[in-house]
Amino acid sequence: MAKVEPGMEAMVDVYIFETTALLEQLDEILLRTEKANEFTEEDINEIFRIMHTVKGSSAMMGFENLQVLAHKGEDMFFIIRENPEKMTDVGFVYDLVFQMSDLFKAEIDMIQNDDDYEPTDFSDMLAKLEKGAKMLKGELDGINEAESASAAAPAADDTASAAAAAAPDCTTVRVFFEDGCKMENIRAFMLINNVKESVDDVEIVSYIPEDIESNQDSANVIIDNGFILSFRAPDVKAVLSAIESSLNVESYEVIDANAQKAEEAEQAAAEAAPIQQETAAAGSPAAPSAPAPAAPKPAEKPKAESKAPAASSGGGKQSLISVNLQKLDQLHDIVGEIITTESMVISNPELEGLRLESFTKSARELRKLTADLQDTVMSIRMVPLTGPFQKMNRIVRDMKVKLNKDVELVIEGDTTEVDKSIVDNLNDPLMHLVRNCMDHGIENTAEQRIAAGKPAKGTIKLSAMSSSGEVIITISDDGQGIDTEKVIAKAERNGLLMKPASEYSEREIQNMILLPGFSTNDVVTEYSGRGVGMDVVKSNLSKMGGSLTVESKKGEGTAFIIKIPLTLAIVDGMEIMVGDAEFTVPISVIKESFIVKRDQILNDTKRGEMIMIRGVCYPMLRLNEKFGLYSEVNDIEDGIVLLIESENRGICLFADKLIGEQQVVVKPFPKYLSQYDIKGQGLSGCTIMGDGSISLIIDVNNLIGSH
Amino acid sequence: MDIKELFAKQEEMKQKNLNAKNEKESEITKVMTFYIGDQVYGIEIPSVIEIIGVPHITVVPGIPYYIKGIINVRSKVVPVIDMRSRFGKEEKEYTDRTNTIIIEEAGVSVGVIVDEVIGVIPVFQKNIANSPDRIGVNDNKFIKYLLEMPDGIKLVLDVAKLIYDGDMYLVEE
Repeated sequence: MAKVEPGMEAMVDVYIFETTALLEQLDEILLRTEKANEFTEEDINEIFRIMHTVKGSSAMMGFENLQVLAHKGEDMFFIIRENPEKMTDVGFVYDLVFQMSDLFKAEIDMIQNDDDYEPTDFSDMLAKLEKGAKMLKGELDGINEAESASAAAPAADDTASAAAAAAPDCTTVRVFFEDGCKMENIRAFMLINNVKESVDDVEIVSYIPEDIESNQDSANVIIDNGFILSFRAPDVKAVLSAIESSLNVESYEVIDANAQKAEEAEQAAAEAAPIQQETAAAGSPAAPSAPAPAAPKPAEKPKAESKAPAASSGGGKQSLISVNLQKLDQLHDIVGEIITTESMVISNPELEGLRLESFTKSARELRKLTADLQDTVMSIRMVPLTGPFQKMNRIVRDMKVKLNKDVELVIEGDTTEVDKSIVDNLNDPLMHLVRNCMDHGIENTAEQRIAAGKPAKGTIKLSAMSSSGEVIITISDDGQGIDTEKVIAKAERNGLLMKPASEYSEREIQNMILLPGFSTNDVVTEYSGRGVGMDVVKSNLSKMGGSLTVESKKGEGTAFIIKIPLTLAIVDGMEIMVGDAEFTVPISVIKESFIVKRDQILNDTKRGEMIMIRGVCYPMLRLNEKFGLYSEVNDIEDGIVLLIESENRGICLFADKLIGEQQVVVKPFPKYLSQYDIKGQGLSGCTIMGDGSISLIIDVNNLIGSH
Repeated sequence: MDIKELFAKQEEMKQKNLNAKNEKESEITKVMTFYIGDQVYGIEIPSVIEIIGVPHITVVPGIPYYIKGIINVRSKVVPVIDMRSRFGKEEKEYTDRTNTIIIEEAGVSVGVIVDEVIGVIPVFQKNIANSPDRIGVNDNKFIKYLLEMPDGIKLVLDVAKLIYDGDMYLVEE
C-alpha cells in the first residue's frame, strides 16, 4: 500500500473500497445509459454524485491528482446536468468518462499495491476532459449564448445580481472554512449542496466567488475574503444552522441587515459556540498561501467516514457489511474442527456398548446444528458471479468501438454462487475468453455475417450454472467457429504436433488453441494475437481445480466451457486404504472403480503394468509402491482399481480397498513441510477424519504428471 | 588514603560481590529435560506446548527420513521429527515411555519424538556453560547452551534452529 500518515492506513482501505465500488457503479450507469442512448435526470445526478464523492474523498486522503481528475469529470457532468434537455450528441462523453474511470482504477490499484506509490500525472487526461467540457459548452453556446459566460456555474442566470446582498428579502452570509482544510472552493460547493438538501424552499440567489466549480484559484479568494452566499428562504434560521453544520465550516457571519432578526435568534445558539463569532469578528483567518498540507487532520476522519457510506448507500438502508476474508477463513477452520471434534466425541470408543438414550438424542441434535452451522459458514463465503460477469459488459463495449464490430453480450445465470476465492480469480480468465470471442470469434464485418445467413449483430453469451458441486461457465459466440484446417496448419508451423496431422480428431485440433504459443490471428492486435492468453487461462483455471474445454462448429460459433469446483475448501472424496494409510481421491476425477482379473493386465517392460479398458490402454499405478507404504495386498485381484481422469489424461490407481464416500475439509500441509515438494508427489493436502486420523488428499494432475 | 575511605570502598566491594552472587543464583528459566539415547537434553519451557505419547503417525512421501510424518494434535496437523534419527543415532522402536513434545516457534508447530521425558528443572545463570563445541557430535548446531548440573551435563536445544534450520531454511509461505 502507498505510504500514508501513520494511523491513516485503515482510512486508505475504506477509501479504496468505496472508491472502487463507486467507479464500478459509474461504469454500470454509463453502460446502461449508453445502451439506452439517453441520460435521465436521475442518471446524471447519480453520476454527478459519484464524481463528487470520489473527488471529496480523494481530497480528504490527500490524493490531489485524483481529486483534480474527478473534479474535471464533475465539471463536464455539471454542464450536462444544468442543461439536460439540450444534450443531443454526447457520445464522446462516454469515451472520455470511461478513460477517466480506467485511469482512476489503475491509480487506485497502485495506491493499494505499491509501497512507494508516486502520484501519476494526469495532465493529458485533464486536457482531454477540459476539451470535452468546452465542446459541451460550445454546443450550448449555439443554443443559449447568454449562458456561455459561466456555463459551469449554477444559477448562472443571475450573474448580474451577484451583489444581491442588497436585494430586499435576501440574506447574505460570509463563511470561513477551517484553516488548511484545502479545496475551499469545493467545500463551498458542498456547502451550497448541503444547504439545498437540508432546507426546503431555499433559493440560492448568488455567491462570491462565482467560479468555485471551475476555478481552482477561487479557493485562495475564499481563504482571503470568505465565501459570500446570498439566499432567499422562508426559514432563515434553518439555513444558517445548515451552514453551521456543514463540513469544515469554521465560522460565518450574517452581513445583511435584513437578516438581523434571524441573527438575533442565532445569537442564542451562538452562545453555545462563542469561538465561532469571535473568529469571524477578528476578520479573515490567517490564510495559508498555497493550498494546503498533504493530508487532512485526524479530526476529520470520523466525519469523512460517516459521510461516505451514507452517500454511497443513496439513503437506502444497507443490510450488508464487509468482513475481512481472513476472519471468514478462521471461522471456517474452527467450524471444520468443531465437526471433527464432534464426531470424536459422539463416536468415542469408550461409549461403545452403553445404552445412552438421552445422550444419543442430544448428540443427534448437536449433529444437526453443526451441519447447519457448516452450511451457513459455507454460504457466507459464496458470492454471485454477477461482479465478474458485469465487468465483461465493459470489455465488450470497449472492443466493440475499437474493432468496429456490432456485438451484444447476453448474460445468463449470473446469480450462480461460487466461493469468494474462486470469483476473485475468475476475472482474468473470463476477460481473456471474452476478448478472444470478440477478436477471433465474431466475423470482422457485418457483411460476412449476413452472407453466412446470420444476423448482422453478433452475440456473445456468458452463462453460468451449477451442477453437482461444480460450476459450469460457458462463453460462447455465434461467430465463424474454429477453422480446424487453419489450426492444424499453424500447429504444424509452430512445431506443436506430436503425431501426423491426419491422426488428430476434430476435438483434439480445437483444443490445440489452448496450447502455449498458439494464436491463429495473423495480425497481433491490442487485444489478442500474441499467442499468450489461452494457455494462461487454462493454467489459471487448473490452479483453482478447474478445467477449460473448447467446442466449436465451423461457421456456427465457438464455446469455451469452464468447469470449476464450487468451493476449494471442501472436497467430495472417496476414501481408500493403502496399508494402514488412508487417502482421499476427489470424486470428480474418478471415472469408475472395479476389480481386475490378473489376465487383464499387460506388462510392458518400459512402462510397467498397463490395463486395457474399452479399447484404451491406461498405465497402472500401485499406490503402495508410489508412496513407499507397506501393504499386505499385493495381488492385483485382491485390491481395487480406480480409473481416474483429469485434463484428458487417465491413469489407474491400485489400492487395498475402498472405505466410502465422504465430504472432507481440505487442510494444507503444515508450514514446516512446505520446504519439501509434497505436491510434486501427487498430494495436495490432508484432512482430519471423524476418528481423528489423517487422510492425505491425492492431487490427480500432479500424480499423473509425476508418473 | 583516609581510613574511612578505605572502609567505604571495602563495603562497596562487598556489596558488588553480593549482587553478582544474587545474579548468578536468580532463576533464569525452566527447562524440560528428556533422554535421547543416554544423553540428557532439554528444551526451554516457553517453547513447549504439550507433551503427548506417540499417536498414530500418517506417513507423508517426499520428506526426509527423520520427519516421520504428520499427526493430529487437537485438530491441528503437526509434523513429527524423530530426534534419534535427526541426531544420526540408531532408531529405536517406540514404547509407552516414548514421548512426543509439541514445540512452537513463531507460529510453526513441530512434534519431536524423544526416548523419555524426565522432568522440569530450574536454570540459574551459574549453571550455564557456553562451550558447546566440546561436544564433538553432529547435534552441535542445535545446542543453545550447556547446563552443568550436579547430576551431569544437559544439552539445551535451540528450538528456533530445530524448526527453521532443518538442513535448509524454511520457505516462508
